[in-house]
Amino acid sequence: MKLAAPRLRLWAALAVLLAAQVVVRPLLVPSPFAPDFVMVALLFLAMRSRPGAGAAAGFLVGLLSDAVAPTAFGAGAFALTVIGYLAGWLKAVVFADNLLVTAVFVFAATWLRDLLELAASGDLRAGGLGTQLLLLSPAGAIGTAAAAVLALLLFRGWLRSAPAL
Amino acid sequence: MAIGAERYGSRADTVVFVACLVVALVTLALPEALRAPLAGSLRRSVLLPAVTVQSRVAASRAQRQNVLALRAERDSLALASADVPVLRAENGELRALLHLQGRLLTGFVTAEVLHQAGLGDGLTLLLSAGRTEGVRPLAPVVSPGGLVGMVTTVDRHTAVVMAWSHPDFRASAMTEGGRIFGIVASRRGERAGEVMELRGVPYRDRLPAGTLVVTSGLGGVFPRGIPLGTVEGELSESEGWERTYLVRPAAHPAAVGHVLVLTVGLVRDSLAAAYRPSPQRADTTPAPAATP
Repeated sequence: MKLAAPRLRLWAALAVLLAAQVVVRPLLVPSPFAPDFVMVALLFLAMRSRPGAGAAAGFLVGLLSDAVAPTAFGAGAFALTVIGYLAGWLKAVVFADNLLVTAVFVFAATWLRDLLELAASGDLRAGGLGTQLLLLSPAGAIGTAAAAVLALLLFRGWLRSAPAL
Repeated sequence: MAIGAERYGSRADTVVFVACLVVALVTLALPEALRAPLAGSLRRSVLLPAVTVQSRVAASRAQRQNVLALRAERDSLALASADVPVLRAENGELRALLHLQGRLLTGFVTAEVLHQAGLGDGLTLLLSAGRTEGVRPLAPVVSPGGLVGMVTTVDRHTAVVMAWSHPDFRASAMTEGGRIFGIVASRRGERAGEVMELRGVPYRDRLPAGTLVVTSGLGGVFPRGIPLGTVEGELSESEGWERTYLVRPAAHPAAVGHVLVLTVGLVRDSLAAAYRPSPQRADTTPAPAATP
């Protein structure tokens, strides 16, 4: 029972973030700074889980993301599998509740996701790479990092004692 | 929350990671004929609630648009369409003289663009209208500015659009007036996805900057006359006896929120019907089948 309550709070926080993706994000598009709330939810989950669980969650989230923007179906699953695994592994060396660390971590993970997705879809050879990776991806990563900090401030109590899956 | 060394991955974690990675790569390597149904089944099942909510949010956002801006657009349209009845009558008379039937007409379905996170958005777009609303594969998708793309996959209440910025997109194009023809594709260069290329322009023809490029109607997918963009300048002369021009697009897929999906308005419309001699004057009144 003691374990169930923190876990429920963690999942409630993640559910709020997923809801924000379909309710709040459409209001911010087409700004390049529009945050990816699903990415924040995935990272919060992966940072509180084992690497394998993070990878599996990343794979599922990536596959669903690919289904609604099927430019290169499978590229998102590939990218988020790596991100989920790394997030689960790196939590051994980072402090998940520190605002600055979380912001930097989310920024780096979002930018790396874009890089991996580009590589998986074969677009690394195409032009426009500089604009994407140096301008558009950092803009999206800044928005996502800001959303992560805001979520951490809002749900700090719920996330602090949350156990791994 | 400092987490100890026990959190480092075990062998089981590595196995799960590698398995997920392999499945993702296999998915990526699947042929399009398998990937599209797989993505469609996910949209119709697990993602259906999320897509439905997002559609409603996007629709309500569109309804909250600035009334003053809408009024200004309406006034501009009213002014621009003031000459339409006269032109329509003249066109009808000329067509009757040539024994031509009415123009090929198209209806339309309105839809919201459900923008997604990630790099795929802008290359492919998800629309809030599908088969139930009358959307069909290969239907042209336009915004008030110009051509956005073409429908590739249709579900019950959603549709996937290949935007003009997609690497595989091509459209037969011509300059306004139909003097010079070419093929338009996205520019995969230093500003990928932001500009188009007009390829295959004969070497003897030169296009000045600012020339409007529209769809030619060749190929049977896009109706003639949809704006694609304006010529910015010549790009290259190195491809034999043809020129390539840089085209500033009329509509940016990543910034579009509301689109029209063109549909065939009249069943009798076909090229054969259009050129069949008609003993009486054709009716050229457009009758768009608007579906909110």
